[in-house]
Amino acid sequence: MESDLAQFLHPGNLRLIGVSFLTTASLSFLGCTIGFLAGFGLALMRHPRIIPFAPARWLAIIYTETFRRIPFLVKLMVVFFAFQFAGLNVSMFTVAVTTVALSAAAFASENVRAGLESIHNNQWDAAETLNMGGFTALRRVILPQAWPVMIPPSMTYSVGLVKSTSIASQIGLFELTYAARIMSGKGISAALAYGSILILYFVLCYSLNRFAAWLEIRLATSRHRQTQRQL
Amino acid sequence: MGYTLQYGQITPHLGYLAEGAFLSFGLAAIGFLVGWMIGIVCAAVTEYGRGPVRWLVRAYVTFFLNTPILVQIFFLFFALPEIGILLTSFQAVTIGLALNAGAYLTEIQRAGFKSVRREEQEAAITLGFSRVQTIRYVVLPHIVRVLFPPLSNQYILVIMTTSIAAIFGIEELTGRAYNINSTTFRSLEIFSVVALYYVALTFFASWILYGIGRYLFRIKAKAF
Repeated sequence: MESDLAQFLHPGNLRLIGVSFLTTASLSFLGCTIGFLAGFGLALMRHPRIIPFAPARWLAIIYTETFRRIPFLVKLMVVFFAFQFAGLNVSMFTVAVTTVALSAAAFASENVRAGLESIHNNQWDAAETLNMGGFTALRRVILPQAWPVMIPPSMTYSVGLVKSTSIASQIGLFELTYAARIMSGKGISAALAYGSILILYFVLCYSLNRFAAWLEIRLATSRHRQTQRQL
Repeated sequence: MGYTLQYGQITPHLGYLAEGAFLSFGLAAIGFLVGWMIGIVCAAVTEYGRGPVRWLVRAYVTFFLNTPILVQIFFLFFALPEIGILLTSFQAVTIGLALNAGAYLTEIQRAGFKSVRREEQEAAITLGFSRVQTIRYVVLPHIVRVLFPPLSNQYILVIMTTSIAAIFGIEELTGRAYNINSTTFRSLEIFSVVALYYVALTFFASWILYGIGRYLFRIKAKAF
């Protein structure tokens, strides 16, 4: 056990953990950011006031309804082999980021849609009366009110995706879970290897969750303050 | 290049995959039901308990909500043997699923407990309801209506989570996809078909749960 700990605390081993932690963090961050932007676009495609074109709406609905019903592991495999099929020689990191982004887009589009729908139709009518086009109305009237409804659930879902990135170890991406496998392969006890990784995931996800909770309160009050000022 | 999609090669395996889908459904049911029981107990302890028991329950819930289920199962499977607990892969996966679902269901059901207002219970007493009647006619209808949509949501999420079992060699839907993949090497075809199986499976579960909610509890909200 003591030699275990010595091996675990060896600088090379700590570096391995640090690098893999950064991989997990950057994978989650990149994937969620790209995914949120794509999901935002999908939600706009579904909104009749912004893009009044039915086929675009159907496409967005089909995408959202299928991609949030496919497990992360299966999605990862499909993306992995689809890149191979397309003849693109990409890194495992790209495969994983794409998968995270595809998942995030499906869920973000639902959250953004809920946010847009939370704004009363009268607001759109009022903006139209002021001779605003669809996108101007969105930017200047709808979005400032809809952010507080969109952001907190999207943050919470992003934490779920951070946890899902552990599955990317299955295609051999060097992230936290893979690091645990390497460590236990080097002879460090499994309890220590997987236990330490669990704690690192906990630190990452717990702080993100706290941040999401704080953001929810913060945005809710700022919205309240706004309405008070208007009154 | 020259990889041409040949879905014809996997049509003989469609039935085999469908059986796998039933296994996924069942595995999710076991995990969900055990997790539900854990959730009820933990939610009750969180709401009404105090002291170290409550503290322990909160620690369990917070920890399981903030760590990936894959690593949790890895821990159960690889680390527990060091203290003499040897689990088969099926046991490890089922326990992992149940513990993970338990944490989520605790948080969901806590909200349910909170939704019953004290005034309503007092009103029931004023109307001369007995304790059993109060629970049957006032508390339960309330809790069921509040809890049914998020609970069915959670069941569908558990169905998708069961795909992780394939990593531990369990032959449910994804595991069977791995099996077929290792004999036919038609990877993209197989995994895209399996993806559609999951879409169909979760839609099927959604509709059944929606039907139950609609006709048993008159809930109109469509979950997931």
